[in-house]
Amino acid sequence: MNRSCMTLAAGLAVVVSGAVARDIPKSPRDIKFKELVFEPPAPSQFRHQLSNGVPVYMAVSHEVPLVTITLSFKGGEYLEPGDKAGLASITGQMMRQGGTTTVPPKELDERFDFMAARVSASIGDRTAQASINCLTANLDEAFALFMDMVRNPGFDTGRLEVLRGQELEDIKTRNDNGLQIALRELGFLMWGQDHFEARQPTRASIESITPEDMKALHDRIFNPANLMIAVTGDFEEKDMIAFLDKAMAGWAKGQAVPEVPAPTQAYEPGVYYYEKDQNQVQVLIGERGIRRDDKDAVAVDVMNGILGGSGFTSRITNRVRTEEGLAYTAGSTFSNRVEYPGMFISYFFTKTPTTALATRLVFDEIGKIQKTEVTTEELETIQNSLIETFPRNFESKNAMMNLFISDERTGRDPSYWRNYRKMVRDVTPEDVQRVANDHLNPDDTVVVVVGPWEQIQKGNVASEPDPKRQATMEEFGAARQIPPRDPETLQPAKP
Amino acid sequence: MTRFLPVAAATLALASSAALAQQVEPIEFKLDNGMTFLLLPRDEQPNIITAGWIAPTGSTHEHPGITGVSHLLEHLLFKGTDTVGTTDADLDRQYRAQLTELREKMRAVTLDVQYRRFLNGEIENPWDPEVDTPELRDLRAQMSALQDKQREITVKNEFDKIYTGNGASGMNAGTSNDFTVFYINLPSNKLELWAWMESDRLMNPSFRELDAERFVVIEERRQRLESTPTGMLDERFDSMFWIASTYSWPVIGWMSDLMAYTEDEITEYFETNYQPANLTGVIVGDFDPADARQLIESYFGRLINKRPPPAPVVTHEVPMMGTLRFSGECDCQDQIEVRYHAVAAGTPDQAPLELLAAILNGRTGRLYKSMIEDKGLAASARAGSDTQRYAGSFSFVATPKGKTELETIEKAWYAEVNKLKNEPVSDNELQKVKNQAAADAFRDLQNNSNLFFQLAISEAWGGWEYLNEYPKLIQQVTPEDIQRVARKYLGDDNKGVAVYHRKQGSELVLLTLDDVKSSLPAEMLPVIMPQLEAQLDELKTATDAEELRQALAQMEQQSAMMPPQFKTMMDYVKQEINLRITEIEGGAQ
Repeated sequence: MNRSCMTLAAGLAVVVSGAVARDIPKSPRDIKFKELVFEPPAPSQFRHQLSNGVPVYMAVSHEVPLVTITLSFKGGEYLEPGDKAGLASITGQMMRQGGTTTVPPKELDERFDFMAARVSASIGDRTAQASINCLTANLDEAFALFMDMVRNPGFDTGRLEVLRGQELEDIKTRNDNGLQIALRELGFLMWGQDHFEARQPTRASIESITPEDMKALHDRIFNPANLMIAVTGDFEEKDMIAFLDKAMAGWAKGQAVPEVPAPTQAYEPGVYYYEKDQNQVQVLIGERGIRRDDKDAVAVDVMNGILGGSGFTSRITNRVRTEEGLAYTAGSTFSNRVEYPGMFISYFFTKTPTTALATRLVFDEIGKIQKTEVTTEELETIQNSLIETFPRNFESKNAMMNLFISDERTGRDPSYWRNYRKMVRDVTPEDVQRVANDHLNPDDTVVVVVGPWEQIQKGNVASEPDPKRQATMEEFGAARQIPPRDPETLQPAKP
Repeated sequence: MTRFLPVAAATLALASSAALAQQVEPIEFKLDNGMTFLLLPRDEQPNIITAGWIAPTGSTHEHPGITGVSHLLEHLLFKGTDTVGTTDADLDRQYRAQLTELREKMRAVTLDVQYRRFLNGEIENPWDPEVDTPELRDLRAQMSALQDKQREITVKNEFDKIYTGNGASGMNAGTSNDFTVFYINLPSNKLELWAWMESDRLMNPSFRELDAERFVVIEERRQRLESTPTGMLDERFDSMFWIASTYSWPVIGWMSDLMAYTEDEITEYFETNYQPANLTGVIVGDFDPADARQLIESYFGRLINKRPPPAPVVTHEVPMMGTLRFSGECDCQDQIEVRYHAVAAGTPDQAPLELLAAILNGRTGRLYKSMIEDKGLAASARAGSDTQRYAGSFSFVATPKGKTELETIEKAWYAEVNKLKNEPVSDNELQKVKNQAAADAFRDLQNNSNLFFQLAISEAWGGWEYLNEYPKLIQQVTPEDIQRVARKYLGDDNKGVAVYHRKQGSELVLLTLDDVKSSLPAEMLPVIMPQLEAQLDELKTATDAEELRQALAQMEQQSAMMPPQFKTMMDYVKQEINLRITEIEGGAQ
């Protein structure tokens, strides 16, 4: 493959100096900006197809002599058998660590490392990836070795025991970090302990994993029927298709994986606490969210930008952090899902006595955005932000190719990005209020609190001179205790 | 923290051709007021700019009593300016003056009455509102009322909103021991907005909401340090490791100091360290440099140096003269760190120390091979070379696997060190890490913010030209250099050792079958285990909770007669029965 030279050197640019000083406007709002014209690139410009039908998205850049190839597969944790939680993650890691059927793991690692190739393999909740980034000069050799790893992983038993040992050490620490506990328990309560979104490995499930389990899962996911490829960097487009076709030779197309299963459990709203001795309390307030392709998705995104999703510009952050100084981290987020409604979470971390006050402030803000229209100024700030940062979605070629792949895999409306800015611009204050009422339901939330409950409950009455700011946890109704769990089995531990 | 940009040509032993030498060549100029600028136009990321500025000022320039002030100031510089952030600049100034007065009163009372109570052992934290005296509580209420009034004319987070509404993103700042840096990503037509906003906050910053922000920083301290598994112990170990150096206090500051800064102290610190002659601005991305220079001269040319330049850092670190040991307990995995005094950034031994760490790390590195794979002692093990502006360290950190003692891992580390001192590393090992450094050189060029940070930090530490120099130094390192630095720095009279153990009884842990096995005499295992496992299988299908409760009661009665070596086994069986009862009765999940 060819390598081409690039110059980062700007030293030759002619720089005018001593030019006439500009008039400085009194307010930044009076600055006149040149218009920036940007149209999102069409995926079809980058899309190709291999002879076995596998889609390839590619974009050339000769800035540095590196090539990145990412194989992206449909299939993930949701395919694990119920008693093998952790199998997907371990299989992904073992593909990278366990050698191939003909190259022992140590040799594979030495060869990749000596070529300075960065190689990874991983299986996530819904998708799996294997990717290589290497110098153009080494591409032929490194990519051949990489494809051997992807197609014929060795799952070396010695390496499996090393990894298993590390995973077993890791699960011992699952109760050390309050946020980790809060996220785990919120997941259990909202999705159910057995749904793949929330499921957690245990000592028993990790101990039960065998090379045969890994091979079976590997064979279901890693085949051309589930595959799409992204190529970026320093290569020639005309050579790449033939190069990849050759790498696919003899690879049976295989079967496409089944669809992602929806959760079946309804959740029970209320306040739940997990006892932990720490001097900062984590609070997560969760409820059912929306689908990615919901007709209100863009309006919801705008609404959440005003409520708690855009950092300092949003209301929850302003109220809890800036005005009251109760937290360093406070905000809200909609995590949408393609297959079923996702989750809406508001969150903050605060000192023990002010947990109740901060909880009240968050619920106040949710109530306010439902009861009163937002101001045009707030709305325009968020709209401008979403519209003006829009080009960033297409900033890096690698991220852009992977965005197109994800869109194709999940069947996103092809006109989505073209119309995105108009959809944002069309959101009105009435829309914001309507979607806040349709999609936020403060009476139907799960509030997870991790910390020393006895003190949390009492609130800030002892330290707060201002009666308007005094709060205890009583105002949120009866609270239920989540029994402390043994970190390795996650079973409730008996005192 | 230290990430230099290696750019030079590398001799790749296996690669068919040598990588091209690439130099980063920003346009450099200095304004009349002494502020330096580096401009690097780059069109690979169209329509986007990363812009920011750096002050070579961090916690190392503080002193006891004002530790953490650099970081608090970083927060305060987002509060707006005299005009941005308020609807009534005059009234706002009046409120701020009144607040300052109240704050001074509260500070005086606290340092007198509350500190005395603290020294007498009556209260744990003199700054805690929960132990306010009636006088303090009254002052606090006055302050709160005044802040509510000020809030009526405050435009909340206006500084952020102006940027956000203009499509800027990733606005942030960072404070380290050695520098403070402010940066943002902008659409390429908005460079003038950046020049307006940044020059305004450097000229007319307003520390409004100072009191609320103190509490935000305290929450940040709790979040980052105090409620993380090892945060508190790490802070203590750092503080012990640096003996004389000003690296010995945490960047975020000691809790007592966070509550105590006066507005005058903050202002003086700002005016000294953030005057233009001490600053460097950096812009990377899709922009026209001639246009940018004109903007810069108009906007940043207005800044004035008001005070004498900041005092240089005088106190340097002293030799350790022995081994310092620190041990503590936390809600964490057992962990060991061995840390040595090493070298500052930009000094000749930086390159060999970085390669030495690389030879130890990764799955083809020495630590994985010996400690993790072959001997199975550790679950994780890694080395690191940390070079800062005024000093540096070399460290080894590991967590054990299973029941391995930390002492065993510590000894295994010293064995690795001895090997490094006694035998030169192989040519192959060294070439591998040089190849990786050369490839990483290109990787680090691939985005605006990477380039921004490398230019800003290396310039703050003495000159961006080092970015182009350092990769050459890396490729010149020999096996003898590695051996030399191992001998020079990894000595017993030059180290601190931190040993962390999981706090006992801090949580309830279930017994496992392995615990039972290891508690029983080996010769009894073949007899007992099959029986036990059969019983456990039976238990899995039990459906009558009452029957199980009776079994438990029976076991309680028998327990007095049980030989002590069966205690763990009996506890395990009781635990399993209890769990089954919970399961049958559909108890809490």
